[in-house]
Amino acid sequence: MAATTGSGVKVPQLVEGQKGVGDGTVSWGLEDDEDMTLTRWTGMIIGPPRTIYENRIYSLKIECGPKYPEAPPFVRFVTKINMNGVNSSNGVVDPRAISVLAKWQNSYSIKVVLQELRRLMMSKENMKLPQPPEGQCYSN
Amino acid sequence: MAENGESSGPPRPSRGPAAAQGSAAAPAEPKIIKVTVKTPKEKEEFAVPENSSVQQFKEAISKRFKSQTDQLVLIFAGKILKDQDTLIQHGIHDGLTVHLVIKSQNRPQGQSTQPSNAAGTNATSASTPRSNSTPISTNSNPFGLGSLGGLAGLSSLGLSSTNFSELQSQMQQQLMASPEMMIQIMENPFVQSMLSNPDLMRQLIMANPQMQQLIQRNPEISHLLNNPDIMRQTLEIARNPAMMQEMMRNQDLALSNLESIPGGYNALRRMYTDIQEPMLNAAQEQFGGNPFASVGSSSSSGEGTQPSRTENRDPLPNPWAPPPATQSSATTSTTTSTGSGSGNSSSNATGNTVAAANYVASIFSTPGMQSLLQQITENPQLIQNMLSAPYMRSMMQSLSQNPDLAAQMMLNSPLFTANPQLQEQMRPQLPAFLQQMQNPDTLSAMSNPRAMQALMQIQQGLQTLATEAPGLIPSFTPGVGAPGSTGSGGPTGPTVSSAAPSETTSPTSESGPNQQFIQQMVQALAGANAPQLPNPEVRFQQQLEQLNAMGFLNREANLQALIATGGDINAAIERLLGSQPS
Repeated sequence: MAATTGSGVKVPQLVEGQKGVGDGTVSWGLEDDEDMTLTRWTGMIIGPPRTIYENRIYSLKIECGPKYPEAPPFVRFVTKINMNGVNSSNGVVDPRAISVLAKWQNSYSIKVVLQELRRLMMSKENMKLPQPPEGQCYSN
Repeated sequence: MAENGESSGPPRPSRGPAAAQGSAAAPAEPKIIKVTVKTPKEKEEFAVPENSSVQQFKEAISKRFKSQTDQLVLIFAGKILKDQDTLIQHGIHDGLTVHLVIKSQNRPQGQSTQPSNAAGTNATSASTPRSNSTPISTNSNPFGLGSLGGLAGLSSLGLSSTNFSELQSQMQQQLMASPEMMIQIMENPFVQSMLSNPDLMRQLIMANPQMQQLIQRNPEISHLLNNPDIMRQTLEIARNPAMMQEMMRNQDLALSNLESIPGGYNALRRMYTDIQEPMLNAAQEQFGGNPFASVGSSSSSGEGTQPSRTENRDPLPNPWAPPPATQSSATTSTTTSTGSGSGNSSSNATGNTVAAANYVASIFSTPGMQSLLQQITENPQLIQNMLSAPYMRSMMQSLSQNPDLAAQMMLNSPLFTANPQLQEQMRPQLPAFLQQMQNPDTLSAMSNPRAMQALMQIQQGLQTLATEAPGLIPSFTPGVGAPGSTGSGGPTGPTVSSAAPSETTSPTSESGPNQQFIQQMVQALAGANAPQLPNPEVRFQQQLEQLNAMGFLNREANLQALIATGGDINAAIERLLGSQPS
């Protein structure tokens, strides 16, 4: 049952993630290719240019819960990042702080979430936040 | 290369979630698959054997993208592809896309704003600062050498044909780069008096388009600017370097305290990025250097000091450099507050420009500037460029429209204050003189070095006359000779000749335009005894009335206070309250 929940959305997501989207700045895919439940995903955001995130690669874990796509996914940064809306000790993205998560619609997808996070990196309030040294990850 | 089996090369434990993919058995001959590699900028298609390793894939990529393999980071489906993995492991099949990030060795640290701005010419001059680094380094010398080298460097770039506003931004950058000059400038009492006028400061700040944008985004800043107390405090701080340092230290302490509060760090960061950075950058773009950028969590007193920096740098070149170097080149200090008074009593723009011009003029008194002037006058093209720069036009126009201002400006010279007679003389000539400046003939005369020299000769002639036959030139004072000597190359002729009395001491000028010019000068002098400038009492009429209404009945004291504060009622009241025993 879990396997089929939301698969109508997740499978296209999977395909799209594999095909690569748009400008090559975000990427996502199943964390485990064998995962038939299509719940655990990894995402990657390439830091936008002309920001402090430039040239960095941010890895994320995204978990699509049982209610997905009615409910937003849980998103967590694996790579350490200093950004508004992201818990600085464990990388969890606060769903109330990120607009697409706070106002989630079932037409949204993982791609949307990643792209939105990337867009937030370019916002004035984030684009110059000092960042931890590259390559560090959260411990959990 | 074409090996069968799960992995290429010696068997190793394959990492990643697809660990136990035994099913990834490749066929006997490896199929070539087409994989698209996409960077944020480009996209390339690669044909590689299906079972190649990521390492091999990277090698192919590095050739095409002209980078080294260790600079390449491949991402597929949200995972970074490690060198020892295979494409199949990650499920990379024919027709799929892999993302590529090329790590550059020196990463630019997100310095977004310096060259790109809307404020104008800094972009074009961004290339030139590099070549100016050597001249800037000579600034540690007596500044004359520094700027000499600077200008030489600039003109070697063919500056004579470039837009003068580039020169201006060059100068600004050099100024910013040189702390000695900064100190000099800050200590210049005229500057200080200008800084002490909050209204003026506010106008100047508001005039900066970046600031306007910033203010739109952050209304608190406009509150800050509009609060005269804060402005005055700020200006005081700016004036007093020691006090500034104290402030900075206190701010730093306060900030570090804030940091230790949980969540406070973030708030600080936000504050910094919201308010301060844009302000600093706004100033920085104009002035080519953010001195606070290096200060770690630079304090919000950066806000306070920004106005001072902004003011210091606004239009640097004096529109009146060669000819009015006569009047203004020696402008170093204001004994009274007439200079800042001018800012108050006039319309915004004119006050702006005049005070700025005043300030600019004061800069010209420094030896460096004088050598600059020399070079400028030697280069007629430069003069023309300078004079034709748009803001100069507007400055001149506004000055001609408001003779009061021009009078103020002129009167700020210490020479003149030492010579009240001369003051009186200068005043009436101003309107006419200003019109002369507008006259294109005049402008071309100004740009003619020979004309300049001729004027110099006139001045010298007059000087000789003065010593030889003082009776002939009754009000000619030796003090006027001073501008001639200090204003290097500047044709001090006009001033002197106009200082000359109504008697037409015919100038020994060769060229026609010169002669006309001089004659017009003299006529203006002769004919213009009428428009006398209102004295301070009249100027401050309105303020005096207000003070009266408030209950300050001592007219003398009011007037003194108003003069001292340049017409600023609030400051005057404070002065009065400070001096009166209640």
